[in-house]
Amino acid sequence: MSAVVVLTPIVIATWPALSAAVAGAAASMHLAVRAENLHEREETPEQVEVNVAETEIVGAALARDQKIVLERDGVTLEVGRDERGRCTVCASSHGHSKRELEAIAEEVSGRVVQQFIYNKLMTELKSRDYEVVDQERLADESVRVSVRLQ
Amino acid sequence: MSQVEMEIVISRTGQVTVEIQGAKGPRCLKYAELVRELVGREQQRQLTREYYEPDTDVRIDTEVRDQHGQ
Repeated sequence: MSAVVVLTPIVIATWPALSAAVAGAAASMHLAVRAENLHEREETPEQVEVNVAETEIVGAALARDQKIVLERDGVTLEVGRDERGRCTVCASSHGHSKRELEAIAEEVSGRVVQQFIYNKLMTELKSRDYEVVDQERLADESVRVSVRLQ
Repeated sequence: MSQVEMEIVISRTGQVTVEIQGAKGPRCLKYAELVRELVGREQQRQLTREYYEPDTDVRIDTEVRDQHGQ
């Protein structure tokens, strides 16, 4: 090993690219994707919204109220964008505390970024004809990809 | 030419760690730079002893001239 570089992700994505990442994250977390979009949030006793760090959703095609709705164990998660273009995750439930919902929303937020970065890297590596020789999901839910460059 | 491999670990929060193996010197960082352009901002960099070893894939051309420059 000759160098180790640690990078903080910055997500600038179109809605379709982000949607693909949300779908991937949902699959890895065993979250169900609800078919219809919510136009109005249901009234629930507990509701928490977190911003996905350093994101910007670009492109004119996205309607302001467009969202992807995920569900698991009585928790509803709406992934959308706020008026400033940042990606948001809103968690709501009848049976969870605010702290629990915040933890779930943060977890989903991180996984969406993870999946977005994974999709972007794999697309780019393949376009450059680099060979992915191995990949696996680790016990801590990290994803490891080994690439042969020459 | 030595085999160059890159290991990329994407954490559950999206933080990315890149390890380059088999490339020495600036050539090594060229690959890390490729990933940085795709991912975002560099937070930390650690260069190991292998980085500072001479890159045997570098070709040096020399030219010998006589006193008259010929």
